[in-house]
Amino acid sequence: MREPTRTVQLLVNGRTHTVTVPVRKTLADTLREDLGLTGTHLGCEQGVCGACTVLLDGQPVRSCLLLAVQAAGHEVTTVEALGTPDRLHPLQQAFWEHHGLQCGFCTPGILISLVAFLRERPSPTREEIREALAGNLCRCTGYQNIVRAAEAAAAWMREPGR
Amino acid sequence: MRIEGTHTLHAPRDRVWALLDDPQSLARCTPGMQELRPLGPEEFEAVLSIGIAAVRGTYKGKLRITERTPPERYAVQVEGTSGAGFVRAVGLLELVDRGPQTEVRWSGDVQVGGALTIGSRMIPGIARMLAGQFFQCLDEQLRNA
Amino acid sequence: MKPPVFEYCDPTTVEEAVDCLAERGEAAKVLAGGQSLLPLLNLRLARPDCLVDINRLDELDYLHEEAGWLRVGARVRQRRVEESEEVARRVPLLAEAVRYVGHPQIRNRGTVCGSLAHADPAAELPGVAVALGARLLVRSRLGTREIPAEQFFTGQLTTALRPDELLVEAQFPVFPAGWGWAFVEVTNRHGDYALCGVAAGVYVEDRRVRDVRLAYVGAGPTPVRLREVELAAVEDFRVAGEEARARLSPDGDLHASAEFRRHLAAVLTGRALRRAFERATGGEPHA
Repeated sequence: MREPTRTVQLLVNGRTHTVTVPVRKTLADTLREDLGLTGTHLGCEQGVCGACTVLLDGQPVRSCLLLAVQAAGHEVTTVEALGTPDRLHPLQQAFWEHHGLQCGFCTPGILISLVAFLRERPSPTREEIREALAGNLCRCTGYQNIVRAAEAAAAWMREPGR
Repeated sequence: MRIEGTHTLHAPRDRVWALLDDPQSLARCTPGMQELRPLGPEEFEAVLSIGIAAVRGTYKGKLRITERTPPERYAVQVEGTSGAGFVRAVGLLELVDRGPQTEVRWSGDVQVGGALTIGSRMIPGIARMLAGQFFQCLDEQLRNA
Repeated sequence: MKPPVFEYCDPTTVEEAVDCLAERGEAAKVLAGGQSLLPLLNLRLARPDCLVDINRLDELDYLHEEAGWLRVGARVRQRRVEESEEVARRVPLLAEAVRYVGHPQIRNRGTVCGSLAHADPAAELPGVAVALGARLLVRSRLGTREIPAEQFFTGQLTTALRPDELLVEAQFPVFPAGWGWAFVEVTNRHGDYALCGVAAGVYVEDRRVRDVRLAYVGAGPTPVRLREVELAAVEDFRVAGEEARARLSPDGDLHASAEFRRHLAAVLTGRALRRAFERATGGEPHA
């Protein structure tokens, strides 16, 4: 069936991509299907679980609640931009060392939310970390190790030269 | 979810009963009713289009009269599905004689499933609003008859 | 699930936006932050023929005080209001309540006007609008009209907006010195819709309460202001709580029974009033 589509330029993780998508296609689906960036996950498609969180112009947003065509003209950052297997982001390193993930489904959304949060609050209390992650649901870990990993990463990131 | 309320209709009880007992009157007053087709003596097939604001759906389903005690008790069972989920409800109407008026005590139990559960907390309010519209329409029919 | 097919316009002027709405009427839906509309589209609970995306309307991206009113344009994100020092100083009730709206990720996109136009019965911002006596500015091809908050919310998810109208601005009055404000709510989890929320304002002169404003959310299809409860509160905060319990008729549902909601209303009335009083008398800063 024919439906309205648009060709837009998306700036994702520092690279520009030209995609032609149905106007109803969400940013989350476009990242995953058109750009092959499957690190962004779909948990609820209602904006509740946070697994789809990406940065839009540096701010964490739900990519399942954004149409791809709305992202044109903005900078999108996904979890793939945080680090590489050879050079993990301090948050990724901390999550690994402190067992901050089990199935890993919620993890990309949590990492993205924390990246933005720690930028604004480099020395958070545990309570502040918990509140910052209230919009990211994890069914595996019980959150304890997530908070520990976030604390460890924050400390590491505060060190000069990081 | 249980919901209940009362509504006063401006007609004596036997006239109210006659109206309730007439499927076409019910159909006219049911918000969003598009089709009502009898399947048997106590069973109907219905198509309704209901919703609030942008949330709207077309529901296909069945209505069964489960109790009929003239002129005081009338109970129905309703179920319907739309693309977004299903609704199941049982409703009871009790008509109390108030001389030239009739007090209708209505109560019901509503269940929703599928995507509709996202709005389950609004169901009682919606049901109350629809019931209000229904009884207001019946009242107008009774007054104008 | 995925959104159903729709047509999409992203106008760059308010005139264009209003034209789109005029042409499509009931079949069109305005897309602002999308934090309430996209879930409905994803679940196909809403099936508009056409989406009018107002995110390119730079002319509606303003937040400033003018002649005693805080003017919030339709594109202003909730996060911007949360972080604004001007809002914190001039309309502290709004600054406090907006922090209860969802999560930071929601507030980065969600708009103040969008929340008002969506009119969820348990949403915080409609409660603030009613408590303060806000004004809503609405545009259509016919021009602009102003709707007072107490007439704007007409039912669950229903407002006085006509299908061809766009909410372009919300105006919140700046109250004089002597007023203290508080917003409290109870939820199952941080960021949920309120099981019951109370917006309270207390005006104190010579350490005595002279006037009170109270609005309840989650206690009915629209925010509720009860003058009888406000007058009772001028005399006695505790009595006001009991008045609220007696006069409110919330519905019960999966999350909370009607009785529990009435209980919350009673308790939160007292809590909100006491906090507002502390802030009016300088005993406690606004949040």
